[in-house]
Amino acid sequence: MATLGSAITAAASALSVERTRIEAAVSNLANAESTRSANGQPYRRRDVVLRAEPVESFDAALGRSTATGVKVAAIVEDQSEFRRRYEPSHPDADKDGFVSLPNVDAPQEMVDMVGAARAYQANLAAIGLIREMVQKALELGKG
Amino acid sequence: MNTIDDAALVEALRQQMTKSVARQVAASGNLANVDTPNYKAVEPSFADALKGQLQMTATRTNHINPGDASRPQVREIKDAAARRDGNTVELDRELLTMQRASGDFAAAQTALAAKFKLVRYAISESK
Repeated sequence: MATLGSAITAAASALSVERTRIEAAVSNLANAESTRSANGQPYRRRDVVLRAEPVESFDAALGRSTATGVKVAAIVEDQSEFRRRYEPSHPDADKDGFVSLPNVDAPQEMVDMVGAARAYQANLAAIGLIREMVQKALELGKG
Repeated sequence: MNTIDDAALVEALRQQMTKSVARQVAASGNLANVDTPNYKAVEPSFADALKGQLQMTATRTNHINPGDASRPQVREIKDAAARRDGNTVELDRELLTMQRASGDFAAAQTALAAKFKLVRYAISESK
């Protein structure tokens, strides 16, 4: 049978993943106007791809059901079109006076960030509940 | 005179605790995947485990134990509405499941502790 330890591991994996999502959203927001990145192109917004993955445990090794954690499968660059703004005085403007700006949409990043923060909170609450159960179980051994 | 066997009582409480843990584990897995596209929420199914137990019963003492009825299988939660990304996890349902499992576990633990207290009382010759 699956144990509470694997449940905590699953919840902890979610905490780390949600933090990664918040980090990605923050770096997207921070670079909303970055017209130059390492490859000379404007910054492309980053997206975190998640994947469900069974927690590695004794149960998993025996082929029994175990808790399902979550993992960052990849961080991909959004290949959608850059935003364009007419600004002829900008040093990165093309010959028609348009500047290519990162494909970052601030409201979308904010929504992602709120969602990730809520999921983080929920998993933290879950860990609290599991810990309560472990403590309760340990009380059985008290004299 | 003693209508309920002590061992049966302890076993029943143990199963209740095991089931609560299984619910908790499934719910925490669901919660961890609240934003994973196409993830389907699961729940432990005790009915299936019971059926498996009924179909395969040890009829002789040298038969291998067909398995613990309280060992749960997991299955996808039926008629859960999927979001646009194919995910069927509902935050409030999972948190509610966890709260309920936690409560059930605490109840069984309290009863078991009371039972053990009596046993200890008997061992220590009512001291």
